[in-house]
Amino acid sequence: MILTILVIIPIFFGLGLILLPHVLQKNMAENIRNITKNISLGVGVALFAISTFFSITSLGGIEWLNISLGDFQLKEEGISLIPSIGTSWKLGIDALSLPMVWLTTMLIPVSMLVEWDAKDSHYFHPLLLILEGAMIGVFVVLDLFVFYLFWEMTLIPMFFLILMWGGEDRKYAAMKFFIYTFSASVVMLIGILIMYFYTTSSETMTGHTFDMIVMINNTELIPSIGLRHLVWLLLLIGFATKMPSVPVHTWLPDAHVQAPTAGSMILAGVMLKMGAYGFLRIAVTAFPGSTVVFTPLLIFLGMVSLVYGAWVCMGQTNLKRMVAYSSVSHMGLIFLGISTMQPLGIAGALFMMFAHGIISPLLFAVAGAFKHHYHTLEIGSMRGIAHHSPWLSGHMMLGWMASLGLPLLAGFVAEVAILISFWMTFGWLVLLPTMTLVITAVYYLSSMQKTIFESNNPHSAILPDTMKGEEPRDISWHENVGMLILASFTVIFGILPFIYWDMMADWSSEIMNILSEEMRIRGIKP
Amino acid sequence: MVNSTNEYNLLAPLLFPIALILGLIIAPGINSSDASILIVLSPLVAFPIILISGQIYNGNDKWKNNLKEGGIIAVSALLIPLLVSIWIIGDNISHTDGHSIITWLSDWIEFQVLEENYVLDQGRTLGIGVWIDSITLMLIFVASFLCFLICWFSMGYMNTDPINENRNHRFYAEFVLFAMGMFGMVLADNFLWLFIFWEIMGLCSYLLIGFYFWKESAAKAAKKAFLTTRVGDVFLMIGLFILYDIYDSLEFSVIFDDPSLQGTVDSTKLFWALLLMFVGAVGKSAQFPLHVWLPDAMEGPTPVSALIHAATMVNAGLYLVARMVPFVVTGDGYNGVEGLDDLGLIIAWIGGITAFMAASIAFVQNDIKKVLAYSTMSQLAYIFTGLGAAIWLYNNNHYYAGTIAFGASMFHLFNHAMAKGMLFMASGSVIHEVHHAHDHIHHENEDSDHHFDPQDMRNMGGLASKLPITATAMMIGSMSIIGIPLIGGFWSKEGIIAETWASFFYSEPIMLGPAILVLLTAGMTGFYMSRMWFMTFAGAPKSEVVNHVKENTPWIKEPLVILTLISAFSGILLSLFGVVDYLAGKSDHLSYKEIIYTLEHAFIPEDGKLMIIGWTTMFLSSIIGPIYASRVHGGPLNDDQKSNFLISWLVNLSGKFGKQDVSDLSKSSLANALQERLYIDDFYDWLISKTVIPFSHFSAWFDKNIIDGIIKQIESRSILSSLQIRKITTGKARDYILMTAVGMLSIFILAWGASR
Repeated sequence: MILTILVIIPIFFGLGLILLPHVLQKNMAENIRNITKNISLGVGVALFAISTFFSITSLGGIEWLNISLGDFQLKEEGISLIPSIGTSWKLGIDALSLPMVWLTTMLIPVSMLVEWDAKDSHYFHPLLLILEGAMIGVFVVLDLFVFYLFWEMTLIPMFFLILMWGGEDRKYAAMKFFIYTFSASVVMLIGILIMYFYTTSSETMTGHTFDMIVMINNTELIPSIGLRHLVWLLLLIGFATKMPSVPVHTWLPDAHVQAPTAGSMILAGVMLKMGAYGFLRIAVTAFPGSTVVFTPLLIFLGMVSLVYGAWVCMGQTNLKRMVAYSSVSHMGLIFLGISTMQPLGIAGALFMMFAHGIISPLLFAVAGAFKHHYHTLEIGSMRGIAHHSPWLSGHMMLGWMASLGLPLLAGFVAEVAILISFWMTFGWLVLLPTMTLVITAVYYLSSMQKTIFESNNPHSAILPDTMKGEEPRDISWHENVGMLILASFTVIFGILPFIYWDMMADWSSEIMNILSEEMRIRGIKP
Repeated sequence: MVNSTNEYNLLAPLLFPIALILGLIIAPGINSSDASILIVLSPLVAFPIILISGQIYNGNDKWKNNLKEGGIIAVSALLIPLLVSIWIIGDNISHTDGHSIITWLSDWIEFQVLEENYVLDQGRTLGIGVWIDSITLMLIFVASFLCFLICWFSMGYMNTDPINENRNHRFYAEFVLFAMGMFGMVLADNFLWLFIFWEIMGLCSYLLIGFYFWKESAAKAAKKAFLTTRVGDVFLMIGLFILYDIYDSLEFSVIFDDPSLQGTVDSTKLFWALLLMFVGAVGKSAQFPLHVWLPDAMEGPTPVSALIHAATMVNAGLYLVARMVPFVVTGDGYNGVEGLDDLGLIIAWIGGITAFMAASIAFVQNDIKKVLAYSTMSQLAYIFTGLGAAIWLYNNNHYYAGTIAFGASMFHLFNHAMAKGMLFMASGSVIHEVHHAHDHIHHENEDSDHHFDPQDMRNMGGLASKLPITATAMMIGSMSIIGIPLIGGFWSKEGIIAETWASFFYSEPIMLGPAILVLLTAGMTGFYMSRMWFMTFAGAPKSEVVNHVKENTPWIKEPLVILTLISAFSGILLSLFGVVDYLAGKSDHLSYKEIIYTLEHAFIPEDGKLMIIGWTTMFLSSIIGPIYASRVHGGPLNDDQKSNFLISWLVNLSGKFGKQDVSDLSKSSLANALQERLYIDDFYDWLISKTVIPFSHFSAWFDKNIIDGIIKQIESRSILSSLQIRKITTGKARDYILMTAVGMLSIFILAWGASR
């Protein structure tokens, strides 16, 4: 029941809070609108409490360390949704999805806090709740039909967030975001349908089923190796666009720059991870053979994303655009981690998904605060902001340092794990990703110094023109609380990575058992 | 300013750490190694406390003064590591031939590795722990002792400067974090945690060099320091990956001690691992070609320079290379690998080049801190040369010579840290007092001279009578760095130069280069250190400001006095107990018979060739260099000025060698090139502006116009083609049937192809 609650409750509350005022009397509606954001935050915090509760072994009573692949916890099955095509309401959670679910429930209240004073907040905050439900749905459903429904459903609230609360060019960005990712997921749907038509099941009328576990375990029913490879590639196109990987990444910078702060935070924090999650959950697990065969493609995509993304970052003058491209660069590391075909590398990729999900929202919160308080995102337009906004500068420094991979902050463990196993598998090729770490440091430090330092005045800053005589301020309390939460999780998971690392390492070893079998058959050396 | 007797009452909180440690010592069942975690924990906990309490009390003058803006908390937090490290030293000093390990957490990270036979292995872990041997003991003492003294000094230096008002809590917070990084790195029992703390230090150096963040030069210097060391760190990372691949572990205990590994290690692979790790050390310890950050790092407050140059950061690189030495010690009972002597040559060459280059640039610097910065670079290069020689000697089975080279290098690290820490604090004292005197004068008459630079030695001269304690401290410190016989650095520098030559005499012709370079540098050190001292303290005052300088800031004198005593006598005392052998891990106990052996080694070695080298070194460094410096910059004080006996003697002596005018020489193109740091910085800037920046702009353009452009093309084409397709809808049944047939045919073909 817990997982159903996590999925249904936020959607229920979100829709309710949006629709209810329209059917109620006028003053009643007004009252509800006034407390909408408080209710939304309350629901968000409650869901966070629930997910924290069951992810702690001693509280939830689930031994997260010893679950083998395909053995889902908190499993719910039963209600058949459309019996004629064999789809049903099946939920479950394992070491791959648990950190993602926890991350989602954590990020939603935080991003609500950061944009506490959004205009039309009686629509804004409920939309975030709907988004939360859809995203958790993606991570916990075990039925590919419902998975696809939730996958597309996440687009709708995000589309409205960009369209209604975005920047100057929001219409173009919203349309681009929607069409781009929608067409990619249609490609993915073709892949899923091919899988569906080749999977047989005695339990349904059509003889086919959308049950994810059954479909994943029966991919050998797909008659030819070529077709399997084709399905794998179709799935890859869908997931890689979502991640995003070069060359299908160009929707991301536009969407991020135009999206409201909370939208960017969730987009970077969770929605990008849906791509990596889907890839691991469906493509890698169902087609280990194709994964092994196409490893060079993964290296290529990952390497190009990482290296090229970093260089593009360096050429950016817009703070949010730079942070967006840095996401592309970091997502490249995930493909590299998977391509190493080592449990350490895959665990590193999983931890990267998680760590990036904490760090990049912090980066976007900082960038959003610049937009909010200084009305510009141009990197060169101001200097010495630290004089007036010490808290903002502190958060910026921590976030930027975490993202460039400083030890004892969340990203480091993931980076080192991926790179060690990359050396073990590919040897000197490791020079490319490691050299990129220097590039990463260059663009982060330069962008930071040009905004918060170097005013050449011991007491005041050089303010951007966009301030128009306004007095510079530090971030407000709610932004500060939101960023402090993210900052403290960055430090906590940097010093104590084993909180989630151990279960991720376990999951990686399980998937490696399947992959190594395929490698042995094909004679690929580990 | 508060009365200085009241000031010291503020130290009362220091009783808490003292009581705590005494309590732990007395308490049953707790030994020093259990307490070792306090060394790292205490500054780590103090960091947020200082930062947050600073934000709170900033409006409240009483608390701000009572805590010295966090300085008192920082000093208390740094006293705990000092006391614990003394306790650990007391417990461990007697059994040295080996090491002890304490594990704090054995499974920080767990994972499995897929092996050659497609089977996952048993599972591996990376943990955290403490490794204690003679090098650890020495470095933890150096770090904790100097951090404590420098923090004490900062309370005088930082808190009396009005520009730092309400910002000092940030300084102390970053200071203790920096100290934490160094302590952690020295104690770590594996290379992973060594690297983690190493990077923490990189962060803190960035924060502290850029402490005056609004100054563009300071912010740029901070960035330069971080990025330059980052380049080295990346190579260090790769080196560690290779090391992990070889040994399947990063723990010292496995790598150095596991007998089952003997003879299994591929020496080429190990060579690359060690070479890349050495590149990391080159970055951190500012050696050629990654030295460019160090002189710029002088933009930070002076205590930070002392901290970086003496107590922490630059020693990190030396420590890493010292940890590499066991890899090359071959023979019975050692896990070393043969065929790594090229590594020693590379290290020695880098050291020799840097030593010579830095010393020659120091010739022409007029900024007192810049001279010290280049001197640091040059002295560290000595230690690298010594370590390189040690690696070569050990790897060629010259155990005895290798031991002396290794021990002398480590001992030089100690001597240099003590002397350089003091020199920086003394220069801080000079700068601080000159700055205050300048403010004092120009506060009264309004036309303040903004171009006055309190660090420029051309504004000083004749300060010996005004700052007697500082002058004495600086004299002893300079003597130690120069290597005047029987003082401080002499005992170690002699060993380094002799053993570098020794490895040349053991028929290694390539070693001749570094050997000559370090020998010449010894004389050059004598010149530039003496030049700095004479320019600052001897002769007639070169500006009006000097006459108003007074030595009366509290907190500044005590560290200087303590370190003067240590620099003057530690060399001879520690040599008395055979510290060189001890640091190389080759002696079971300390014995005072060693002094005779050390003296013998320094003055009348058995090998006649080494004797010539030794005496040449002494002649160059203690006679030629200082005399030449005094001819250029020396001179007696004005007649009405007096100072203490030692300084008066030296100042008067400096006037007796005649005068030499070097103004022609200082205009030469060589002097110009040296002023411009041999154009290395300019070359790097040019290279970056010609490659990295254009390429990044090109990438951004490419992404916007090519990749996104193609997507936009597809979009607009698809709109066009949809218009085209609309034309096909003719409304005639015949057309539709045709299209259906074509569609079905293609599906059949696809399905047929797929099912094969």
